[in-house]
Amino acid sequence: MITAARNYGSFLWRCARVATVGDWRYYAWMGLLAAVTLIGLNAYCKQLVHGLMVTGMSDEVSWGVYIANFTFLVGVAAAAVMMVIPVYIYDNEEMHDLVIFGELLAVAAIIMCLLFVTVDLGRPDRFWHLIPIIGQMNFPSSMLSWDVIVLNGYLLLNVHICGYLIYTRYQGRKPSKWFYIPFVFIAIVWAVSIHTVTAFLYVGLGGRPFWNSAIVGPRFLASAFSAGPALIILALQVVRRVTASGSARELDAGRDVGESAGRPATLADFDQLGFALPELASVSEADRERALAGAVVLDVAEGDVLLRQGSSSRNAFFVLTGSVVVKRAEQGRARITRTARPGDQFGEVSALHGTSRAATAVAEEPSRILRLPADGLRVLMETREMSQIVNSRMSERLMITDHALLTLRGIVQVAMIINVFLLANEVFKEFYSGNLHVASSKYLFLGLHGYHALVPWIWTAIGLNLIGMVLLILPISRSLKWLDVACVCCIVGIWIEKGMGLVIPGFIPTPLGAIVEYTPSLNETLICIGIWAFGLMLYTLFLRMTVPILQGRMTKANEGLPERAGPARAVAGSVPPGAATAR
Amino acid sequence: MPLADKTSDRAMSRRSFLRGSAAFSGLTALAASLSPLRELSDFTSTEEFLQKYYKELSPDEMTKVLQRIERDVQRQYGIRPHVRDLKPMDGVEFVYCLNLTRCIGCRKCVHACVAENNQSRNPEIQYIRVLKLPHGSLDLEKAEHHYEAKEVPEKGFFYMPVQCQQCENPPCVKVCPVNATWQESDGITVIDYDWCIGCRYCEAACPYWARRFNFAKPQIPKERLNPEMAYLGNRPRRQGVMEKCHFCIQRTRAGKYPACLEVCPVGARKFGNILDPESEVSHILREKRVFIQLKEEMGTSPRFFYYFDK
Repeated sequence: MITAARNYGSFLWRCARVATVGDWRYYAWMGLLAAVTLIGLNAYCKQLVHGLMVTGMSDEVSWGVYIANFTFLVGVAAAAVMMVIPVYIYDNEEMHDLVIFGELLAVAAIIMCLLFVTVDLGRPDRFWHLIPIIGQMNFPSSMLSWDVIVLNGYLLLNVHICGYLIYTRYQGRKPSKWFYIPFVFIAIVWAVSIHTVTAFLYVGLGGRPFWNSAIVGPRFLASAFSAGPALIILALQVVRRVTASGSARELDAGRDVGESAGRPATLADFDQLGFALPELASVSEADRERALAGAVVLDVAEGDVLLRQGSSSRNAFFVLTGSVVVKRAEQGRARITRTARPGDQFGEVSALHGTSRAATAVAEEPSRILRLPADGLRVLMETREMSQIVNSRMSERLMITDHALLTLRGIVQVAMIINVFLLANEVFKEFYSGNLHVASSKYLFLGLHGYHALVPWIWTAIGLNLIGMVLLILPISRSLKWLDVACVCCIVGIWIEKGMGLVIPGFIPTPLGAIVEYTPSLNETLICIGIWAFGLMLYTLFLRMTVPILQGRMTKANEGLPERAGPARAVAGSVPPGAATAR
Repeated sequence: MPLADKTSDRAMSRRSFLRGSAAFSGLTALAASLSPLRELSDFTSTEEFLQKYYKELSPDEMTKVLQRIERDVQRQYGIRPHVRDLKPMDGVEFVYCLNLTRCIGCRKCVHACVAENNQSRNPEIQYIRVLKLPHGSLDLEKAEHHYEAKEVPEKGFFYMPVQCQQCENPPCVKVCPVNATWQESDGITVIDYDWCIGCRYCEAACPYWARRFNFAKPQIPKERLNPEMAYLGNRPRRQGVMEKCHFCIQRTRAGKYPACLEVCPVGARKFGNILDPESEVSHILREKRVFIQLKEEMGTSPRFFYYFDK
């Protein structure tokens, strides 16, 4: 128990330490975000002193950009987890690691949601009145109390799932399915619930005909499932870019270890592997003999290249001593996808599936490697233990493939079409029937009695949504450049449509027919920007801590060694070809 | 070797200097951003912060709370108020009837209400909104809210004062996440100003736009303060909480009429106990042929009735 606590403590300590290490771009980015967050905090302190008077809100328009941002971000949080579906239900391998990025985004988004609600409160000091038992929670009557429950529950679920998966990866342990798969499925259902409950917050108000429409819930989900994955598409590309360790050209360096190199392996080599890979004990002596056919032991020097991206061969590798870093060239940049240490395998995917190599493997230090033909690996994998460990490690790599991004594109595409369709439904119902309840919609789309503050906004949103949708339908958005444009259109369009376009017109005109317009004040805007900056800072921190763990750069095994600045700058590529001698 | 050591020493000290100065400027920036808090004058006392929910207060605790409120008011306004916790009376259900034929739109009720209920003068909070409507329509979108006339009533218009309708099925109570607003047995929907968290969900839910929020610290001139107060009624509110018409709880639960009724120069306002068949309101609802519950289709079932003579 105490050891477990100490282990977890040292994990957290290392996470905290790695968060303070980075290159100048990292410091500049975090410094900028911290400065903006502080400006937001300053604005919030002013609001605490002078009251919500410093916002643009009034008794007529009593919710503004705070609640608008809250609504948008609930959608982002919900959608981030919906990415889990292709992985766990359709077993899409390539999306596997991306799930963690999605869930971390969900965590950051929920924290931002909670902050936006908090800054909207007139008496934040009385937050404890909301807590059951010590306070008074009006459950199940108030939709807001439902929202408190589902949002906090969702936060806990995601913190647990990401935390558990990352920690086990750090420990080099296989995550126990019972500890996270049930939660993953709960989280999927829960994701729908947070957004539906948030929609019901509005739908349930009979006195506000603009909101009191059954289509608001489905519209919320559709818009969330396009804006959320769109945001993740952009985030993943940023991750891909900033976690690159250098130019892809560095992968051309290094001396190739030829097919003919090395000495034939013996049973003693398997024994050595067995020290680092206890599961090997399940393989019988006879099977080990069988697996030895064609197996070779290589002693390689730092910088030696064991396999190259794009080549094809049917060999798999196990590290006996030393370490090997696996890097992938993506869009002109090299990025670490995993680090193999004693007992770890690499090259097994293309060996087993007969595909070409997806990455280049370079020795990080003088290492001893066991090279097995695919058939040999299959013999070892005949036992359940070995097959499990090899399979689970197979997914332990950080790959953000274009293919995965295009899978997300499919989600955004369908969701966006549904979103635009539902919007058209709403517009038809409002304007065709033409009863008195159309006033809010008229105000939003056309202006009412000479008031039209929202008209340019909503038409911008509709324009962006349509451009985004058309781009997504056209094949040109298979190219990442156009996909990015489409994603930005969807995100901005939906932000306006759901924020300013949904929350504000619900209040205009008032139930007594008065028209009072709303424009966020400067102070209010600074608070919003501050919260966004804080959320981005959190997400950056999460990624900063997670990426090295997913890449295998930071594991329990290398505890106590100095933290490397940046993703393993010191390895491979820097070694000139032919420099290695020892064999 | 010694040389190398020296440079690494220097590098170390340079690094720790940078780290130290970064931490220092970070803390300075944090302190600077928190600096507006120095202007915070209206601190919540621990006693008030930890105060229990209205319905959970024992009589002893209630006494202490009322004393605390009296002390707070005296400190702020220099006047010793008389704060009571008035309970609903048995066998009483209040109903309001308003005669639209008589109302002339003079807004005397609006200002009597402000004075009676210690509403903030700056920013201005009013519980009653008088709508000016053209004859022949109840379409509220045609209503004029800020009419300025030399003389009322104006020809071709009628006037409809709107305030909290004290619904039998109040949407505001349903949505409050912390039960800070509820309906009492005499039909009045009240707010515990010390329990409200200021989320303004009730304000969004109300179909009558009857609720008001204290966007800033309410300001009431000392000499205008009404010292006769009730906990759920007209005691001064804090910044950041909701308030609304409560049928002048501090008067009506003590056997008086609401302030808006007393001031009405044309007798358009009638108030009483609907459970008493002899009361004026019972008579009106029984005998008058035309009466309106505003937005009846909402199913809120207001205890506020509008009627016309003949």
